[in-house]
Amino acid sequence: MTNHSSPRRRSAALAAAAFATGALVIAGCTPDNGDASDAASGSSDSGTQTITVWHYFSDDNQVKVMDDYKDLFEANNEGATVENVFVPYDQLNSRLITGASTETGPDVVVFNGADASTLALGDVLAPIDDYWADFADAGQFPESVVHSLDGSAYAVQGYVNLLGLWYNADILAEVGVEPPTSIDELNSALDKVVAAGYSGITLSGLPNSQGEWQGYPWMSAFGFNYDDPQVQPLTDAFSMIQNWTDSGALTAEAVTWDQTVPFQTFAAGNVAFAENGNWQMGTAAATADFEYGVVPLPVGETGQVYLGGEGEGIGAFSQNPDLAWKYLSETYFSTEGQLIAADVVGSIPARADAAQDDAVTSNALLDAFATSIDSNGANYPSPAIAPESVADQQLEVGQVWSSVIGGQLTPDAAAEQVVTALAGLK
Amino acid sequence: MPHSIRRLASRRQLLFAAPAAVFLTIFAIYPLLQLMRMSVSDVTVSTLNDPWQYSGLENFQTDFASPAFGETVLNTVIFVTIVTLLGLAGGLGAAILLSKSGRWTGFILGLLVFIWALPPVVNGSVWKFLLGSSGLFNSIGLETGLTTQPIPFLFDDSIALYSVALVNAWAVIPFNALVFRASIMGISPEVFEAARMDGASRWEEIRHIIVPVVKPTTLVLLVLTVVYGFRSFDFIYVMTFGGPGVATTTLPFLGYIQAFVRFDFGLGAATAVIAVAMVIVLAVLYARSVRREEANS
Repeated sequence: MTNHSSPRRRSAALAAAAFATGALVIAGCTPDNGDASDAASGSSDSGTQTITVWHYFSDDNQVKVMDDYKDLFEANNEGATVENVFVPYDQLNSRLITGASTETGPDVVVFNGADASTLALGDVLAPIDDYWADFADAGQFPESVVHSLDGSAYAVQGYVNLLGLWYNADILAEVGVEPPTSIDELNSALDKVVAAGYSGITLSGLPNSQGEWQGYPWMSAFGFNYDDPQVQPLTDAFSMIQNWTDSGALTAEAVTWDQTVPFQTFAAGNVAFAENGNWQMGTAAATADFEYGVVPLPVGETGQVYLGGEGEGIGAFSQNPDLAWKYLSETYFSTEGQLIAADVVGSIPARADAAQDDAVTSNALLDAFATSIDSNGANYPSPAIAPESVADQQLEVGQVWSSVIGGQLTPDAAAEQVVTALAGLK
Repeated sequence: MPHSIRRLASRRQLLFAAPAAVFLTIFAIYPLLQLMRMSVSDVTVSTLNDPWQYSGLENFQTDFASPAFGETVLNTVIFVTIVTLLGLAGGLGAAILLSKSGRWTGFILGLLVFIWALPPVVNGSVWKFLLGSSGLFNSIGLETGLTTQPIPFLFDDSIALYSVALVNAWAVIPFNALVFRASIMGISPEVFEAARMDGASRWEEIRHIIVPVVKPTTLVLLVLTVVYGFRSFDFIYVMTFGGPGVATTTLPFLGYIQAFVRFDFGLGAATAVIAVAMVIVLAVLYARSVRREEANS
């Protein structure tokens, strides 16, 4: 593992601050969130210990999990205080990385698991090898949820999130179709629901990592993969997507939607399907006024569905890493904590014992996601992409995905662009 | 005045100027120098905290070789042109309408200040909602039969850039209107009275009195609005995130994506330097216009 600390850190810190100032002068200010800048690193005074937890959750149910974890930890540890700090998704990584150059940051970071390598390379996360080696329950976790770089572990996922195909059972019953189990069945169902005057499917076409996350299952359904990127499977996949936009099954407005908006649109009741995640279970229960269900994304044998979720790690500049680890081990990594997340937002526990709990196995919606893990689950990000190229790959593919939905590129041109961009990655 | 007193006065002037000079050095000159240094260095997420490796003009070459760069520059030019033309025309029009005190003048002026002071993130979010498929504009269009399909304001690559530019222009109109109005209010009422006695119509008043008077102000506002349009970032970030694809990506947004999404700080710095170079040209024009105006007055 490369040691990224250097005697010139102070100079780099000044330079990074200078660059940020310069960039903001040019770019105007990014949306401000005053909380995060005031709440970096833990503190200990007057006998109380505070740990700060940075996260990007804005959904009510996901925020509730954070609040429940805070209550759980504070109840078990007298004198300890947890401060949850929201940082918008688009800003979390940049704030952490620029903060690291000034040797500041939170005690605990809850981030997109796919960004673990980026954050580790940016000196944001502290290695957790010692803690993990001493953790009695480490054996409960599959190796795939432990994020490592150059032989050191930096974060672990307490649960797995993935995409499934949500359906409006009332609409499907009205038009007389069953939840689809293949691409052909899905296309046929979309034709019928659109003919009946409903919208077909919602998903995110944002030109960033969210777009790539949502687009990859459809690309891989036609045989595309990052190990050996080929044009033809992409052309086929993008042709299908543009058929959807042309027929009205999918609105091109999806290019402005993050993953929250399409599910809210689905939950409003006029859309037959939504490509969205298990974390929307709480939102569905709270807002959907119709019968709904979930089936695995019908992406066939070659299709891959990313096994995502948030990684949890300790900030490299935490003033109290032991307490930060205690927080993680008693919340995200504990059976009790993982069942809270499963119950409130429908997260699939990473721990083997929690995954076998009745609360999880008796939930029909979670069962569909569990089936998808077995049949189509794929590492996120793809191991074929070098850690230092993950951000580039996600952006390039996300932008093309957005162009396809928006009609800016033809399927052929889009496919060529993806393959060319991937070939140019380091 | 004796020589020693003059020298003392000169030193005192320098003393008063010192805080501003120090401030500028720390917060303007030093960051710009670092930005330039970063633009010729290989700085990524894994090397940010290490000594930066000099890479010559490689970052600039990468920018110019990128197929999206030309489109981004074109987007920037279109965006700035729309914001400038509409911002100035709208501002002047609003100022002329508000130059006469009326029942609603105070209220509208207050509204203009309110719009001007609204954070772009809030402003952009509201406009994103208004321009959506189910937003106010499309609802009105569909209900009144003006359109049969929702207009894809923000998600059709052929109009998304114009939509965001229109919103940006809308946001700058209040500032321009307030400045134009101040200039118009400086015209003596007797001038309008004399024109009316000579039979001038309202249009002739505007053409032969108001427009010549606000000409120096227009020049200054022209430069300021161009700079404003050039550095616009917030509305794009909130409304389209540069999409669909890269249809609404301008130079400042490209720099942001390169530096804070791809974490290629060197490449982002190179894009920022190109943008700075363009802004410096405009700043020089601005300085000249101000100097000329001062000389004339």
